[in-house]
Amino acid sequence: MPGSRYAADAPHLLRKVELDGLTALFHLPSGTTHILAPPAPEILAVLGEGPADADTLLDALRSRYALVEQEGERSALLARLAELEAAGLVQRA
Amino acid sequence: MKNPRDDRQGPEIREPSRRHVLALGAAAASTVVTIKPAMAQTAASVLNCQIPVPAPEAAGSYVASDGSLVPPGTPGAVPPAMRPLTGEEAKQLLRGGPAPAGMDSQAAQAYANYIRRLQAGMSGFTCYASLQMPR
Amino acid sequence: MRHAIALRIGPASFRVGSSWRGPIEALAKLYDGYPAPDRASAFTVRLEPERPWRRWLRPSVAVGGDYVLPGASPLALEHGLLAAEMGMNLQMALGQRRHLLLHASTVERDGRALLMTGHSGAGKSTLAAILGERGWRLMGDEFALLDLGSGRLHPFPRAISLKNGAIALLETIVPQDRFGPMLEGTPKGTLRHLRPHAEAIARMNETAEPAMILFPRFGADLPAGVRPVGPAEAFVRLTQSSTNYVDLGEPAFVALTGLVRSVPACAIDYGDTETAIGLVGDLWRGRTS
Repeated sequence: MPGSRYAADAPHLLRKVELDGLTALFHLPSGTTHILAPPAPEILAVLGEGPADADTLLDALRSRYALVEQEGERSALLARLAELEAAGLVQRA
Repeated sequence: MKNPRDDRQGPEIREPSRRHVLALGAAAASTVVTIKPAMAQTAASVLNCQIPVPAPEAAGSYVASDGSLVPPGTPGAVPPAMRPLTGEEAKQLLRGGPAPAGMDSQAAQAYANYIRRLQAGMSGFTCYASLQMPR
Repeated sequence: MRHAIALRIGPASFRVGSSWRGPIEALAKLYDGYPAPDRASAFTVRLEPERPWRRWLRPSVAVGGDYVLPGASPLALEHGLLAAEMGMNLQMALGQRRHLLLHASTVERDGRALLMTGHSGAGKSTLAAILGERGWRLMGDEFALLDLGSGRLHPFPRAISLKNGAIALLETIVPQDRFGPMLEGTPKGTLRHLRPHAEAIARMNETAEPAMILFPRFGADLPAGVRPVGPAEAFVRLTQSSTNYVDLGEPAFVALTGLVRSVPACAIDYGDTETAIGLVGDLWRGRTS
């Protein structure tokens, strides 16, 4: 059962700088700066290509990365998406 | 899924790099930190600046409708503003917005023209200049 | 305003007006030798009574100017010099747009600059003052100005604000004529201003390339310690030390990420000033390039 679709801004609206394993990100539309730890930047990169629901997003991450197996990976992903939404970097489409 | 070509590459052909490891993290983990201003009052500096009309150096002068300073009581001129205009009020006024609450609209227009004529070195100039700066 | 003085400090000019003569005279003496101001970009600072009768009755100085912090408490007239300093700091903190402003002291050697940043009381002003008398050029004790385009640091050599114990320390190594009056019972404790070395004033337009960032921490019984600080932590700490990072937007992001990626950072703990000076020397000599 597909859930809501999530969307993020296109890459040209973000400025990213890697700083010892973390990503400093400037969000041009809002003028805010964020520090992101994995998997947040990777999630933004996938959503930057087009909106997706949680399951599609999970599949995309699994195909691009060596996703560490863990229990409750869907709820972990939803938690990451909630953080990104609270920061204004992801919206429900 | 592992890249099917990994096990069959010859030595001269560059292998595609292995996908890097990614963990989704615990539900309660924190992976996004938003930078907030250290001092809330400095977050919107335009709100903290003010423009006295007229500048204290010219205290007592009246303001003509074109914004120039004239002797008190000159016909058509308005008295000095009761209090300095905040940066935010000045910004609204200069964009053709409404006069601040409690301010006569004719006086507000005169004050707006005064502000537009502010020169470097006069009190309130840096506030006015900062209103013009594109973000 | 009845009494006024115009000052240039680094890239900023100030017109300080006052209802009383005292603060203006004190400023003139403290800033003796500073160059003429650049009228084109002067901030206004006003030292005025909160109510007209407070000019004479228990005189108290409210700090006004182009930029204000509503709700700031006024100061006693005898602390007028402190009011002037706070007024100038406020204009910088809220009005400076050409540079990213960091609460940090800056000293320079061979064209390279050392930035020391931290909370009030961490010792950055004291350390900068002493280094400024030991062969380093003082660029500033309170505000570091990072040029958004070039990434270089611009001097802002205002009079150094010494507090409590640091006053006696500097009095033993600097001639009396460079000190302002002793100000007791101020909201910041006992304070005395120190005019920077003549060379710092003469070279106030000479920028420098940042080469090291230190986060000093002082504690009376703290054992000496050094810990490297990674770029991400340095970045976040520096955004918290800046009064205009958020306002300046993308150029500030670019300048600050550039700074932390190109310049090493360390946290140093110290229990006395000489130890700190020693740690600074060791780290400076040990840095690459």
